[in-house]
Amino acid sequence: MEKIVNDLSHHIRLNKGFFIWMGFLVLAFLACLYAYTRQLQYGLGVAGVRDYISWGLYISNFVFFVASSLIGMLISAVLGLIGFKWVHPITRIAETIAVAFAAVAGLVIVMDMGRPERLAYVFMYARFQSPILWDVTVITTYFVISLLLLFLPMIPDMAVLYKRFSKLPSWLKPVYKVLSLNWTDHPEQNRIIHRSVYILLILIIPAALSIHTVTSWLFALTVRPGWDSTIFGPYFVSGAFVAGSAAVIIAMYFFRRNYKLQDYLTDMHFNNMGKVLVLVAFVYLYFNINEYLVPGYKLKRADALHLHELMAGNFAVMFWLVQVGGLLIPIILLLFRRMRRPMPLTVISVAVVIGAWFKRYLIVVPTMAHPFLPVQHVPENFKVYTPTLIEIAITLLSFILVLIIITLISKFFPVIPVVETAKDKGLDPLKSIES
Amino acid sequence: MKRLFCLILLLASATWRLEAQNPGWPVPDDQKGKICLVKFTPDMVKQGEAIYMKNCQSCHGIPTKKNFAAIVPSPGDLSESKVGSQKDGELFYRITTGKVPMPEFRNILTEDERWSVISFVRTYHKGYKQPDPEKLAGAAGKRIRLSMAYDTVKKKIMVKAVELSKDGPQPAKGAEVVIFIQRYFGNMQLADPKPTSEYGYAGFDWPQDLPGDKRGNVIVTARVNDPTGSMQEALVKDTLTIGVPTDKPSLTDTRAMWSTRDKAPVWVILTYTLAVLVVWYFIIYIILAVLDIRKIKQV
Ligand code: HEC
Repeated sequence: MEKIVNDLSHHIRLNKGFFIWMGFLVLAFLACLYAYTRQLQYGLGVAGVRDYISWGLYISNFVFFVASSLIGMLISAVLGLIGFKWVHPITRIAETIAVAFAAVAGLVIVMDMGRPERLAYVFMYARFQSPILWDVTVITTYFVISLLLLFLPMIPDMAVLYKRFSKLPSWLKPVYKVLSLNWTDHPEQNRIIHRSVYILLILIIPAALSIHTVTSWLFALTVRPGWDSTIFGPYFVSGAFVAGSAAVIIAMYFFRRNYKLQDYLTDMHFNNMGKVLVLVAFVYLYFNINEYLVPGYKLKRADALHLHELMAGNFAVMFWLVQVGGLLIPIILLLFRRMRRPMPLTVISVAVVIGAWFKRYLIVVPTMAHPFLPVQHVPENFKVYTPTLIEIAITLLSFILVLIIITLISKFFPVIPVVETAKDKGLDPLKSIES
Repeated sequence: MKRLFCLILLLASATWRLEAQNPGWPVPDDQKGKICLVKFTPDMVKQGEAIYMKNCQSCHGIPTKKNFAAIVPSPGDLSESKVGSQKDGELFYRITTGKVPMPEFRNILTEDERWSVISFVRTYHKGYKQPDPEKLAGAAGKRIRLSMAYDTVKKKIMVKAVELSKDGPQPAKGAEVVIFIQRYFGNMQLADPKPTSEYGYAGFDWPQDLPGDKRGNVIVTARVNDPTGSMQEALVKDTLTIGVPTDKPSLTDTRAMWSTRDKAPVWVILTYTLAVLVVWYFIIYIILAVLDIRKIKQV
């Protein structure tokens, strides 16, 4: 028992590595924050977006963030409710990623606002008919549910660590004491937690499906080539699972190595996550074929122009790298068991995540570049979109923020559920708590 | 030596600038000579000022204040001498055709309105003397007057063009006439342009099913299509009761997806509110239940 508590908690301390990594993140954060102050001062004109292509990096990045956050639901709710025991050590990682990405996704939207000080107007003048209101609503809801799903299972863990982990830093003790809510492993307490988690796991399924479906509707409810599609919802959701699974695998790899969790995140877990990844990637491939083949067969004029730009025109290199390098090759490789071992699987996942990010760019930008009405009487830089340095820095800012949140959560709380792991092994860590 | 060189360069570029008025925006030679065919009057200047404040001030600022917009290329202050030294025809051409980002005012301001803006801007140009319209009238083009009526027998809109020459008014033949009807968002051209007959008439078939307002009124504009600019603009606008009376509620009067929040469809409001209430009921219920954990003590 002591071993489990120690193994899963020994990383909870302020060591040099942490200070170096956080120092790096904070410095990078400040540098990028400077870019944002420029944007605040001079307006959105410092970004490459203009009247016609008004959605660029920020919105692509937003879609990516929402997508990545969906994984919390897949792992905890879908796989968990089905009853797969092997997901238990991964659930908290998945929820951490969900919380971090969902929290920052909202900020990314604010970064895309020309007058962020008027944020309140979005709510004051909200229209029930507007998918933007729906999006704001479901993302907030999803964030809260994910936060609860991260926090509730952690309550017993914090009680155990508070009592039994002697090396818990003293400054963290009060935090743990408050957050563990006088946990005594009373049956009534257990009943409340179990029921609450159960309700949340059911609630999060429609909430997660809605957040990405509504995000896809921000596009699909407009009449534009490339967006005017009835399968945009499932297309986005399946793509989200691909991005999220890959993100979880990468996180698993880092935690396993840095926090020495080899005994808990085993090759079996990686193998299984590899299978999950290849499964969702197949579903996504299927939707991709639909998305391109159906309009590509009919070739309505606007669609033809759009598809040509994607597959043979200005976006061709990015398009084929994303489709082949970020989806097709990973699928083929992952069919082999050897490729699902931790190291190769992580490398493949990195390719998948990069592909997933650029995929969002390919969904957002090319369509904006071909509106139905001709683009005319505008300066040259209105016609094509090139992200500016400031824009790239601000996008990095959002990534750094996600990393900071993930680092803080994973550094000061056990990454792997302690009590659950113990119980899975037939131990009861809480038995002697009160005595 | 270096300073001298710089000075020469500076002088050279300065004279070059004087030489070519706004070299990036040439005016065709045949447009430069165009002039206003009436003498500027204080009334015109007043009208011009109002038009300027509405259409130009946002970019060009108040003349002499140099508070023009900071955009590229710079709009500049129109009271400056590089504008003052241009001919009326040049200014007229620039206002008519525009150049990105300056809009073209061809279809926004009538010719008369464009001239009154010029008459206003000219009040800031010292030493400006308006070219005498009397002397140059012949060279600068014909003046045409249009009138319009609906011929109930032929079911046509008949436009009559009269040329005002020194020998009194006479039918203008061969003037190309276009007619427009006013719709929601602008004017809709009704048919291809037609030249006037020997007697100065051009007839346009009137579609019998075209909707008008409640009383069947339609606002029709006829004008002489004159791409070369060799005629003074002629335009006539009239309200004719020849449309099909239509009294439909406006598209934004009823509840609809595209209306304001207050006119959202009931089912959208209900679905949204219900979904939010149900989900948040559970969330708040859970939060309260979890807070209760604190009160439970080991027995
Ligand atoms: C959207 C901004 C904008 C508006 C509105 C606008 N202009 Fe301009 N205007 C410009 C710019 C910019 C230039 C300089 C173009 C260039 O030199 O390439 C310019 C140039 C001109 C020039 C030529 C100046 C020169 O140095 O040769 C004249 C004359 C002029 N504008 C008149 C007007 C008048 C009259 C109006 C209103 C009826 C008007 N403009 C409205 C932006 C505007």
